[in-house]
Amino acid sequence: MKKFAIAALAAALMGGVAQADTIKVGVVGPFSGPFALQGKNFKAGIDAYMALNGSTVGDDTIEIIYRDIPTADPAQSKALSQELVVKEGVQYLAGFYFTPDAMAATPLLEQANVPMVVMNAATSAIVTKSPFVVRTSFTTWQTSTPIAKVAFDGGTKKVISVVSDYGPGVDAEAAFKAGFEKAGGAVVEAIRMPLQTNDFSPIMQRIKDSGAEGVFAFLPSGPTTLGFVKAFNENGLKDAGIKFFAPGDLTQESDLPALGEAALGLQTTFHYAVSHDSAENKKFVEAAAKAIGNPAELSFPAVGAYDGMHVIYKMIEATGGEQDAAKAVDAVKGLSWESPRGPVTIDPESRHITQNIYLREVAKAEDGTYYNKEIQTFEKQGDPGLAAAK
Amino acid sequence: MALLTTSLSTTGDRRARLTRDAIGVLVIAAFALVGYFLFPNNLALLTRITAIALLVLSLDLVTGYCGVATLGHAALFGAGAYGAGIAAAHFGITDPIAMLAVGIVSGAIAGLISGVVVLRAHGLPQLVLSIAIIHLAHEAANKASGWTGGSDGLAGIMPDAVFGLWQFDLWGRTAYVFGIVLLIVAFVILRQIVRSPFGMLCRGIRQDPVRVRAMGASVHGTLIKMYAISGAVAGAGGALNAISTQVVGLDSLSFTLSAEALVMLVLGGTGSLYGALIGTITFMWFEDVVSAANPFHWLTIVGALLIAVVLFAPKGLYGSVAAYFERRGRKGR
Amino acid sequence: MQTVFSIGVDALAYGMVLFVISIGLSVTMGLMRVVNLAHGAFAMIGGYIASYAARDLGLAYAFAVLIAVVGTILIAIPIERLLYRRIYGQPELTQVLMTIGITFCIIGIANYIFGPTLKTIPTPETLRQSVSLGFRTVSAHRLFVIACGLAVALGLWYFIERTAFGVKLRAAVDNAAMAAALGVKTQVVYAVSFAVAVGLAAFGGVVGAELLPIEPYYALRYMVTFLVVVSVGGAGSIPGALAACLLLGAIDTAGRYLMPEFGEFFFYLAVIAIVWIFPRGLAGRAK
Repeated sequence: MKKFAIAALAAALMGGVAQADTIKVGVVGPFSGPFALQGKNFKAGIDAYMALNGSTVGDDTIEIIYRDIPTADPAQSKALSQELVVKEGVQYLAGFYFTPDAMAATPLLEQANVPMVVMNAATSAIVTKSPFVVRTSFTTWQTSTPIAKVAFDGGTKKVISVVSDYGPGVDAEAAFKAGFEKAGGAVVEAIRMPLQTNDFSPIMQRIKDSGAEGVFAFLPSGPTTLGFVKAFNENGLKDAGIKFFAPGDLTQESDLPALGEAALGLQTTFHYAVSHDSAENKKFVEAAAKAIGNPAELSFPAVGAYDGMHVIYKMIEATGGEQDAAKAVDAVKGLSWESPRGPVTIDPESRHITQNIYLREVAKAEDGTYYNKEIQTFEKQGDPGLAAAK
Repeated sequence: MALLTTSLSTTGDRRARLTRDAIGVLVIAAFALVGYFLFPNNLALLTRITAIALLVLSLDLVTGYCGVATLGHAALFGAGAYGAGIAAAHFGITDPIAMLAVGIVSGAIAGLISGVVVLRAHGLPQLVLSIAIIHLAHEAANKASGWTGGSDGLAGIMPDAVFGLWQFDLWGRTAYVFGIVLLIVAFVILRQIVRSPFGMLCRGIRQDPVRVRAMGASVHGTLIKMYAISGAVAGAGGALNAISTQVVGLDSLSFTLSAEALVMLVLGGTGSLYGALIGTITFMWFEDVVSAANPFHWLTIVGALLIAVVLFAPKGLYGSVAAYFERRGRKGR
Repeated sequence: MQTVFSIGVDALAYGMVLFVISIGLSVTMGLMRVVNLAHGAFAMIGGYIASYAARDLGLAYAFAVLIAVVGTILIAIPIERLLYRRIYGQPELTQVLMTIGITFCIIGIANYIFGPTLKTIPTPETLRQSVSLGFRTVSAHRLFVIACGLAVALGLWYFIERTAFGVKLRAAVDNAAMAAALGVKTQVVYAVSFAVAVGLAAFGGVVGAELLPIEPYYALRYMVTFLVVVSVGGAGSIPGALAACLLLGAIDTAGRYLMPEFGEFFFYLAVIAIVWIFPRGLAGRAK
């Protein structure tokens, strides 16, 4: 009896949506609190896409419903996702800045018949949790692996790895170590430091004492990054010729005005730089800058959201607005397009995005602002993290 | 003074009190029913409110009744959540009642430990001890990622149907009913406890520990006992959270959750179980409404609400209303 | 040995930063008996004003610091009159509720006006250099902060212990009714002390910004640290706060060096140990 009631309700829900003209997309992200900037970028990317491509697909109008999770909170994420599906009747779930938030919502997808488009959360395993997950951002493994090659080829053979002690940090450490040792280098020491570290001087002392020629670092973007890079310079490590390697989270564009001089010359690998030179990106940056208000706040989550919207639009096109998660996800498997970050493909196996990873260096523009200057391209990088997990 | 009047109360009052309890239970049940039918699509939120309500009730036991200030109460809640979650994910204990029992026991143990530490000091240093505890607990859970999933959260909790009959569904009906029943049971038990001689002793300690000691009662022992009871209640809340959301994150052991619980309690009014319930419902409902209305700037509005409460209802929402009626009642006589 | 010295210097510098930022809170909590969780919010306001003055208006650093302190006090005056005055003498939990509410509001407003990005306060060239101490280099800014900390400690001690106002303040703290009966205008005393505390917060926010960068969430992010430092020292005691800052700074720094993996454990276990031995804080007086 109960099963029947649920089936009837589900059928009613689906039937109702199929005829309606409005297709709702629920976006979960950090729109307030310490990570508000990243949530703001989600919104900018989505707004930019809808400004450039219109807010309709066929006859259907797209409506975005935002829900706020200030910091990683899986229980809240699940409750909000459930509410979005059941109460608001969204056909797509999207956003998800933090890995645990995305993981928590995956068990809902099958029962709710809703695909999830992950616009940021960067732990490899998320896509394995449900066949209805598609990711348009990156993984920490994907962005941290190429820098190992860069480090080794640049002549650095002994590296100390310093990461924040949480999921993505541990991922970055593992990715770098795997890549660097495969190339033939040695990671002499691996330090994990607490997320709440305000003063990095003692860490710098450790780096100095380790005798390494270079340091690989991963920290979440924001105030700690600033403290870390400043401490690196002030404690004379830069002058001592110790090389600095990191994935691009560390030099995200919105932190660059604060980092300023201190970050000059830092080399990072990442999937997207706001400065990327292409017609697609010019269009995107213009629209997204307008959406976010202050162009200096624009950074990588915006492009994840922008491409996420592209995937959702393609899904809606393929299903004709019907709610059919399996069909929608199938439609974008193997989908290739020209993103603002360069050519990308949704890998049909993993449903994760295959993309170019760029080596960039922080440079000073003529107008005195700082930007990530792309100097080398690693083409068509998949996610090495999934293979490593197996 | 209150100590005197309450200890003077005679058995004649017992009946009136039991009636009041019955009314309390009916009110909660009525609220739950109204919630179920008015917001059938918001059951996930309502269940979450129920779980947090258990945490706030538990906090009220130590803060409201014993006068112990703590900003680390989520440690007890998190212990329950992780206890139930680990039991399900690693040991295959997936029966919800068994998970609940594990959660209650873990919560009580966590309560015992943090009680021993926190009760060492008073006032501000006490607050700092509780802060240290919650950070240590958080860090320990982060470190033991093999057991807890670390910052990625503990997933893979798949509770069985309750009594083999009711599956946990997408709409969250089972979880909601499960939570409400749990809340009512906890409420009835707590009403008995706070009214028992033991509960009176706790209130006495809050008002004047020296006098209680002079009476020959053990202050420390009593408070630690209360802390363990409080831990069991918070643990039940944590277990409910783990069962209903099927995931446990580090946030359940966070300073933020502890602070929020304290805010909810003070908002409703300390020293009364009703105050704890009203504070939780008001805060979480308000937060949900304003954060849905404006996900970007809702914090300002919540802040304004807190300020307004202090200005216009300094004893908390329930406390101020109760005080108002008490004054009127006295005038009427 | 060199490493030990090196860590010692870092510890001293970090402890002094903590001291400069938290001493204002020690004044409000110890002398005025207000659990002011909005302390960090005032430090943040100071940081924003200084950042605006130095970066956007291009004013000199010293001038920016001055504007930040004065500006924050000006902003705090109406808040004190309208809100804080209502919670003097109230139960601690009521104060917690009020000051958390104020913090939320200030965070929301800062986020709205200045946006969520980090704001820096450009320091003058002289503070940006590295100074060689023989065995290592340290940034001039760190030395500047150490000097500021010492100056604040001395100045505040003189203010409270040696001036006529300090006498009135201590009288008002010990017995407000009696002080009032003797002709001390306790309202004025409280208002001035509050202004001093807020001014110190703003000053700390500005000079500590190199270590604790200014952003909207600043007000909550470091609140716990400030609260811990002040309580461990014993609220209201300047030597106590200084000792707590140096001790905790040293423990934190040494822990981060020796075993960064367990840095957080190290710090909070030490806090528990200290409070266990000194249940009233390092310099706490018996009630």
